[in-house]
Amino acid sequence: MADAPLYEAVGISKSYGHVTALFDVNFSVNPGEIVGLVGDNGAGKSTLIKILSGVHPPDRGKIRLDGVERTWKSPHDAIEAGIETLYQDSGLAPDLTIGSNVFLGREKLKPGILGRLGFLDQKAMERQAAEELKRVGIAVSGSRRTVSDLSGGQRQAVAIGRAIAWARKVIMLDEPTNHLGARQSIEVLSVMRSAKEQGLGVIFISHTLPHVLEVTDRVVVLRLGRVVRDAATSEFDAESLLGTITGLIEAS
Amino acid sequence: MTMTPASTEGQGRAAPAADPNPPATEPRDWARSILGNQQFLLLVALGALILYFYSKRSVFLSSGEMANILDDFCSLILLAVGETFVIVSGGIDLSVGSTASFAGVIGAFSMRGMVSHNDSEALVLVVGTIVCAAVGAGVGLVNAALINWLRLVPFVATLATLGAGAGMAIVLSHGIPIGDDTRAIIFSQAKVGPFSWPVFIVIGILVISWLYLHLSRYGRYTFALGSNEFAARAAGINVRRHLVSVYVLSGLLSGLGGMFLYLRLGSGAPTSGAGDELRAIAAVVIGGASLLGGSGRLSGTILGGLILTTVTSGLIISNVNPNWDQVAVAVLIALAAALQALRPGRRRA
Amino acid sequence: MRDRSSVCSIGARRKATLLVLASAGVLAACSSSSHSSSPSTASSGGSTATSAAGASGSGGKLTIAFNMGAEADPFFIAMNQGAEAEAKSLGVNLIWQGDPSQYSPATQIPIVDQLLAEHPSALIISPTDPDALQPAVNQAIAQGIPVVNVDTHVTDLSKVLSFITGDNQQGGAAAADAMAAAMHYTAGQTYQVVVGASSATTTTNTARLAGFKAEIAAKYPGIKVMAEAYSQSQPAVANTNVNNWLTEYPNLKGIFAIDGTNASGAAAALQARNLVGKVALVGYDAYSTNVALLQKNVFAALIAQNPTEEGKLAVQYAVQYLNTKSTSGIPHEQTLPNIVLTPNSSAADLAQYTYPTA
Repeated sequence: MADAPLYEAVGISKSYGHVTALFDVNFSVNPGEIVGLVGDNGAGKSTLIKILSGVHPPDRGKIRLDGVERTWKSPHDAIEAGIETLYQDSGLAPDLTIGSNVFLGREKLKPGILGRLGFLDQKAMERQAAEELKRVGIAVSGSRRTVSDLSGGQRQAVAIGRAIAWARKVIMLDEPTNHLGARQSIEVLSVMRSAKEQGLGVIFISHTLPHVLEVTDRVVVLRLGRVVRDAATSEFDAESLLGTITGLIEAS
Repeated sequence: MTMTPASTEGQGRAAPAADPNPPATEPRDWARSILGNQQFLLLVALGALILYFYSKRSVFLSSGEMANILDDFCSLILLAVGETFVIVSGGIDLSVGSTASFAGVIGAFSMRGMVSHNDSEALVLVVGTIVCAAVGAGVGLVNAALINWLRLVPFVATLATLGAGAGMAIVLSHGIPIGDDTRAIIFSQAKVGPFSWPVFIVIGILVISWLYLHLSRYGRYTFALGSNEFAARAAGINVRRHLVSVYVLSGLLSGLGGMFLYLRLGSGAPTSGAGDELRAIAAVVIGGASLLGGSGRLSGTILGGLILTTVTSGLIISNVNPNWDQVAVAVLIALAAALQALRPGRRRA
Repeated sequence: MRDRSSVCSIGARRKATLLVLASAGVLAACSSSSHSSSPSTASSGGSTATSAAGASGSGGKLTIAFNMGAEADPFFIAMNQGAEAEAKSLGVNLIWQGDPSQYSPATQIPIVDQLLAEHPSALIISPTDPDALQPAVNQAIAQGIPVVNVDTHVTDLSKVLSFITGDNQQGGAAAADAMAAAMHYTAGQTYQVVVGASSATTTTNTARLAGFKAEIAAKYPGIKVMAEAYSQSQPAVANTNVNNWLTEYPNLKGIFAIDGTNASGAAAALQARNLVGKVALVGYDAYSTNVALLQKNVFAALIAQNPTEEGKLAVQYAVQYLNTKSTSGIPHEQTLPNIVLTPNSSAADLAQYTYPTA
């Protein structure tokens, strides 16, 4: 962590009409680091994620990846640069198969002339999807089933698996443990740890503070669109973290 | 993390009991496989209809009658194919019928002069086809613009172009068919085997459309867009551009449909495609596509179109009060919708 | 293009080979025989006076507002020509206004309201719906503006000065006669024919069909109407219907295409199967496309209306009432016989009765 951070947002501001969602926010993540992004509803967490993933452009501020300033014109640009996002409301297409979802937006085409004409190599995608999901520690049987046939927990697993399988630099997870049972939540946390071990920068957004305290290295607290605290996780306990989020504890 | 134990050999249908969000309770397997296979039901229905009409009038199974049904099918199915892409993408195109009329009228104007100069038939038809396709694609572009940039919902946007296209077709043509191109009618009736050659062009278009809808990246994006637009965008798909292409494709095929109507009638009439949007949508829905987007099969649309045209011709030929045609279509749509509601495990968020 | 009725050109207007059919229609052959003229069937008298509040433009020029179904329809363009010519010769102003293309009460009502706001001396209207336009007509009468209905009428005609329309029943009968002639009808033989209509509820369609069937029952026992079907105003549907009939009835001898969409659908089917001249197709309305097909012998005959005459009479009666304040001599309802055009009609006749397109 001596050099520039892996992925960095500097002086980010964003308004929707009269509402200022983010004001002069600085945020960063390093390789092999899990950063928790917490805050009350409306604090600006999702807005920040959408800016970092290229869904919305910021009004002001800079984004740097590996120290190089970048501008995302679309989510496609961010994905190309190695930044994967798991959105709060599933980013899966329920009518497509698991394999098709894993490869959504980066389909494998058949070799030769058929590929040039835009035809898919569906078999290869299904096979590779199963392998990728297995590699990152997720086993959902039958990659040819449609996502609508899966339970909520299985869908979340596929979504996380897809994000981790494709992430080359940064992975952002917006409330990945929502709607999950206790056992499955623990599994999600372990998947995040393995992503960290692979050297990815992991950004973890959650309301479940015990999870945040358990898995993160550092915590950034947003309140009313501003960063009110950015400190090592060891400096927090459950009470002080909650106090910082709600504003009962005034932080630096 | 193992949501389903990896050792369950990958075939387990139901989620494990521990799952906190079990999928919809599943009906018995046989019900699922029958109801889930709408294609099979449609084939059975089509066969039953043909047998029924044959039992009433044996001439129904003659090659002449089959050719009648296919002629009718050809001018409908092009609209229904475009409509399938649009509906799978989560939209709807109400303008296909009026676009066919409008393109047919413009195409007829462009061909009229050439016909009177006795230009070669092939040249006339090529020019007419290009004009019709271009006009149709233009209407599709307008639809896409209204949806993408004016943010109108597809129903409203295409309702507007439906009215505008039909109105312009009437104004330009003064309400009467343009042209009396006997040569085109006779030319289009030239037989290849038992059927006229336009049937084979339509079959070609159907095969290509099927390949692209179900086996290509273009089709995959169309399904993704209709299934979850946000997911498609988040996955890096250029959703706007894809949407434009879908409506342009629908318009283009509708324009070609207008050209087929010209070949059939020897003229471009301002009402020649009127009401065909409902038949096209009916074919798609009977074929099993969901109006919510994300699901559908082109083979279903084709069977749906065949069923509709079989019913229309069958009622005429068995001399049933023709008003039953509309009742029959309504019943078919209701049945298809009911099947969709019964189908297990679909469309649950 | 819905409810089309007609005026017939009367007596002297007719040319030699053009056959005018009287409502009593004792017309025999159609081809080339010239036929004696028959007077218009005006049923004068019996007219109920408009509330004679008198909205005359006393002193100044009279202004007649004319609101038709759809401006672009050649049928109404022809009506306009008749109305314009009559207005000019009588020295009155004519406001000619309607929706450019839609034949619909939804677009017609605001136009009528706006016309009434200009306080015309009289209103001539072709209602696109008998009930929907009734309030507008009532309002005009309440304002003291006399109202003439042309082609179609409102439900309550009691206070309307005059209603001028074609005789659809007679037109249907004329179609039967023309078809019988084209088939060289011989007593003792059987002829299978079919009828293509637009919809079961269009009043002109039902009147034409009734006239057609009545004439057959009276004069041609050998003609059997095998089937009827509706096109819903779509020529492609009409085409499918005819294709099916030609398969079902290989000996089909005649088709009565009761409106424009059926005419073009049936014409295409006959051309496609090389049955031109073998199946007697009788169509309705002298649209230019139909006349072109008539000249190619695709139609054995066309039953033409005379909207020009309708427009002329409407203006004539309105002005007459405004000038005399009397309904005497103005028929409350006037139906005018239709005209039969055949491939043998002279070019001049065809030119005169073809609905213009501009």
